[in-house]
Amino acid sequence: MKKIFLSLAVLFVSLVSMAQKPEFLQTMGETLSQFSTCKNAADFQALGNKFQMIADVEKTEWLPVYYHSYCYIIMSFLEPTDATKKDGYLDVAEKSIAKLIELAPNESEVFALQSFYFIGRLVVNPMERGQEFSGLSGQAVGKALAIDPANPRAKLLKLQGDIGAAPYMGLDPKSFCPQAKELLANWDNFKPKSAIHPAWGKDQVEGIVKGCQ
Amino acid sequence: MKSIYFYILFSLVSLQTFSQTVITGKVTQEQGEALPGANVYLKGTYDGTSANKNGYFILKTKKTGTFDLRVEFVGYEPSLQKLELKGDTIRVNVQLKEAFNQLTAVTITAGTFEAGDKKQAVTITPMDMVTTAGAKGDVYGALQSLPGTTTNGESGRLFVKGGDSEESQTYIDGSLVYVPYNSTAPNLSTRGRFNPFMFKGTIFSTGGYSAEYGQALSSVLLLNTNDMPAEDQLDLSVLSIGVEVAGTKLWKNGAATGSLTYNNLAPYMSLTAQNYNWIHPPESATGALSVRQKTGKTGMFKFYTSFNKDAFTINQENIEPGGSPFDYHLANENYFMNASWNGHLNEKLAMNSAASFTNNYDDILYDQTTVGKRIIGTHLKNSINYLFTEKFSLKFGGEFFAKTYLQNVSMPAETHDNNFTNHTIAGFTEAQVYASSKFVTRIGARVEYSDYLKSLKLSPRLSTTYKVTENSQFSLAYGWFYQNPVDDYLLYTNHLNPERADHYTFSYQSSVNSRTLRMELYYKDYKNLVKTNGGEFYLPTSYTNLGSGYAKGLDLFWRDSKTIKNGDYWISYSYLDTKRDYRNFPETAIPTFASTHNFSVVYKHWLNGWRSLLGANFKYSSPRVYNDPNSPVFNSERMLPYRSLDLSWSFLYRKNIIFYGAVTNVMGFKNEFGRRYASTSDVNGNYSSAAIQPSSSRFYVVACFITLTRKGIANQLDKIE
Repeated sequence: MKKIFLSLAVLFVSLVSMAQKPEFLQTMGETLSQFSTCKNAADFQALGNKFQMIADVEKTEWLPVYYHSYCYIIMSFLEPTDATKKDGYLDVAEKSIAKLIELAPNESEVFALQSFYFIGRLVVNPMERGQEFSGLSGQAVGKALAIDPANPRAKLLKLQGDIGAAPYMGLDPKSFCPQAKELLANWDNFKPKSAIHPAWGKDQVEGIVKGCQ
Repeated sequence: MKSIYFYILFSLVSLQTFSQTVITGKVTQEQGEALPGANVYLKGTYDGTSANKNGYFILKTKKTGTFDLRVEFVGYEPSLQKLELKGDTIRVNVQLKEAFNQLTAVTITAGTFEAGDKKQAVTITPMDMVTTAGAKGDVYGALQSLPGTTTNGESGRLFVKGGDSEESQTYIDGSLVYVPYNSTAPNLSTRGRFNPFMFKGTIFSTGGYSAEYGQALSSVLLLNTNDMPAEDQLDLSVLSIGVEVAGTKLWKNGAATGSLTYNNLAPYMSLTAQNYNWIHPPESATGALSVRQKTGKTGMFKFYTSFNKDAFTINQENIEPGGSPFDYHLANENYFMNASWNGHLNEKLAMNSAASFTNNYDDILYDQTTVGKRIIGTHLKNSINYLFTEKFSLKFGGEFFAKTYLQNVSMPAETHDNNFTNHTIAGFTEAQVYASSKFVTRIGARVEYSDYLKSLKLSPRLSTTYKVTENSQFSLAYGWFYQNPVDDYLLYTNHLNPERADHYTFSYQSSVNSRTLRMELYYKDYKNLVKTNGGEFYLPTSYTNLGSGYAKGLDLFWRDSKTIKNGDYWISYSYLDTKRDYRNFPETAIPTFASTHNFSVVYKHWLNGWRSLLGANFKYSSPRVYNDPNSPVFNSERMLPYRSLDLSWSFLYRKNIIFYGAVTNVMGFKNEFGRRYASTSDVNGNYSSAAIQPSSSRFYVVACFITLTRKGIANQLDKIE
């Protein structure tokens, strides 16, 4: 009961603050809805552009900066081969994340995203960057979980990191399946603070769980 | 009421529709190529769009009045233009200028092998330094798989592009390491004092380096130590030749690592065949402490200190007429301290301050002779880099070097006590100018004054790189390089000038998709080399600056981490043509340390199923020359070629336990480094001799690395992978 009350209160507060910026809320909502139609790097770039534009108007809001960065991280994953391009996209993401940490230094989601960004860097050249960036990614996820131990995206990134490192550690990647299943089962229990707060990640967990069967 | 409400709403909507402005056009770069995906929006509003795949955009807005149209694209300078919105259609074509970014612009590559953490076109990474099979975990050993170097098995030191080993200098975090190698007996291979796992980045410059570096005729090796460790941990390393314990403790914005190392080759040597008779196999103990502290937003203070003691005794064959074998005993004590601060004073001003201190004792005892050598060295340096614009930066700074060398030689009949102290003050400045992101020039100069030699020298340096295509570039480097004569001469005279080498380097580099090709042509002109004229060694008049020489050659490097899945290899080849007339040479000749052809292949393969990294390294150096005093021609003898096939295997047993094994020269190639000769001839006028051999024909090492952390997931993979 207390929990429900608390989440209602949070929702209410955020709604009130959002209500002062109806245009912001509406534009963010519209732009976010376009994620589902994004198929390639160009789509994500167009979307990133929009978030950049919104960030330019709403200079104190961290969410547009968050999604701008997120789009560029996804772009680096979508680029099939060109390492220079991948790093180029991640350079853009890096700048946004630096801004993000200044805007919202106490947001769990911010550090979860930073962890995701480090994984992006790692993937460009795992042989060479594996050690350094898995460490950095782990540190960022640690910060995210310290702020909010329930953050499912932070949990997901930690899980992905562990699974990625498993073969090097002499572990069976499948040994993480129970964790993945639990994460998926509890995914919807975590309520984002508002409709425009980060909510991504369920697909990825479903992917992991599918791989377990 | 309701209808009125609707009416107002309707009219508002229609009003807005009526006043819709359509902005349309194309976004291109300067050469007219479309920029698909460019971000086009009215600044301060939510009205925006992206350029389509042909660069065209249509932006509809209901706003009226004056607004800024902003167009942005990654890698280009954003454009901003004022538009008057009044409900009509506006056509604007936007041309974006390529943004200049030093990070992505061309960098100077002539003569330089750089290992960065985040750079794309790296030729060799810090990790490679420790995993090259034949390197035996030695920084200098790993560098000998790069072109431009010549392997001298009886020395182990770096010999670069026809230069002697003294011509290379090592810097850690910006300050000089006066004694980078372990002390060893003559003709026995040495290794570097520093654990390669200490370093995150390496720049190995084999010529044409920046005005920031002086007192090196051939090469500089710039080692950068690790930044902050990730977590508290305890590392245990057990090797067939010793043990190490290291502990790391973190605090807010800082960390300290302390380590204790003990090595003893006695058990190892008792199990394997040795070419020499070791009375007391090498034994050493080292304690080291390193501290890291972040200062402010960008600053990082680093401190490292170590104390090392080692000793050995080897029985040497006496080749002098009528001589009997004697023991050669060496005890070494080395204290080293290094501190640095790096950071930005403001957005445009970066500063690097560095200091080092060395105190090194060698006590040698052989055949009724004792030799005591002591080196006390200090280096202070401060350099500032000012970024005037993205395209123009200026670096300037000053350095102070102090070195005292004391030597005491006692023989039954005589005693020599000699020493000298030299102070060198140096200043340097260097401008880096980008004409475009494809063309960079670095021009600088260095002034050095030595109070012992009373010499003032000016060294101009110039290097430039031009990017011909997206992935390939040409570099040129030119400069004068000065270095004080070696300590052994300065003990007896200060009537000498610094030696000089002029470098001319031309290189081509192409990097595509984890494949790198490098070709380098160079010419080095040596002047003012010290020559002895046959007079007594203790007389200042026995030394002149009349020596000279040259070195020219071609270096090739190919690295490919792409073609073979889970595999990575690099191939180096160097061709060297060099002659010099220096030291005690009676005429111009090829020096003993130079070999014409040097070839090296390094291969590494990760076997996923076996959780193993396998490494192989093959090296070949063509026969070098040496002098036989029985022959009328100087340096006319040829030693055997050097060949070695080295293998290593790292196995991840548990997540925090690694086993490692390596063996050098598995094929058992016979390697010999010429012969040494008696200093006096026997009754028949012959100089007797003995072959110079490696300490053993093969070297084995087995090791186990254990890492303990709170979380228990870290391991020492970075040590061996």
